[in-house]
Amino acid sequence: MDSLHAIGFYVSAAVSLGGGLLVAFLPTRALRGLAVAISGLGIVGLYASLSADFAGLVALVCYAGCTLLLAAPQYRAMDAPVGMLWRQTGAIAAAGLFAVLAYAAFRGGFAHATFKGGEIGSAAIGSFLFAHDALAAEAVGALVLVALVGATAAWRVRERGR
Amino acid sequence: MSVGLVAVLFVAAALVAVGAFVASWKRDLSAALAGLPLMFGGAGVAFAGAARFSAAGDPKIFGQGVAALLAVAVLALVALGVGIAGRGTSR
Repeated sequence: MDSLHAIGFYVSAAVSLGGGLLVAFLPTRALRGLAVAISGLGIVGLYASLSADFAGLVALVCYAGCTLLLAAPQYRAMDAPVGMLWRQTGAIAAAGLFAVLAYAAFRGGFAHATFKGGEIGSAAIGSFLFAHDALAAEAVGALVLVALVGATAAWRVRERGR
Repeated sequence: MSVGLVAVLFVAAALVAVGAFVASWKRDLSAALAGLPLMFGGAGVAFAGAARFSAAGDPKIFGQGVAALLAVAVLALVALGVGIAGRGTSR
């Protein structure tokens, strides 16, 4: 990886992690949506610096959708019936998760290799998704269908109950 | 300046942990949904990094394909969560 890609990687990592932390602490929905968008841009930059431009394009569209959904003012706020102690326990558990994953990455014995692929690779990924690994692609398609139908049904049932 | 698989996995682990932190820290459950894109993004970065630095000679696109599928899946899950939350007051 050359210096330009390396700089892009570290800048994108900082943007994505900074946006992620902003999501946790910003108070309003619009600001949280903006933070999700910033974090998504960072993740897209990470994909681009890792020569996964097609995945980056897909992620760009999907994270834009996530931003619009999470920043929308229409959905209802649902308070969780847990106290501050459990939230702090969850935060400490997240830090422990990071420590375990970082330790596993640091101690892993990985082989070094030279990357020979291109930047976009949409034809290869299309062949992979729809020929070699069609079952996984269809499973995600089914998940999307079930999620959208479930979301629509849940929304309509709540509206009818009013 | 260089980037290796360890650095990629380190960033991916941080993204997953930040997503888990968001999901556990927010009192509003519909706001906690914002942790999902971070966690799935971290997993996707790990897959893309493994594909980028894999030891095989041919270009391996398995990780890139999984990263694209994860992005689609997280959009569907966020839509499902917002739909379950239903229409109501903003906060």
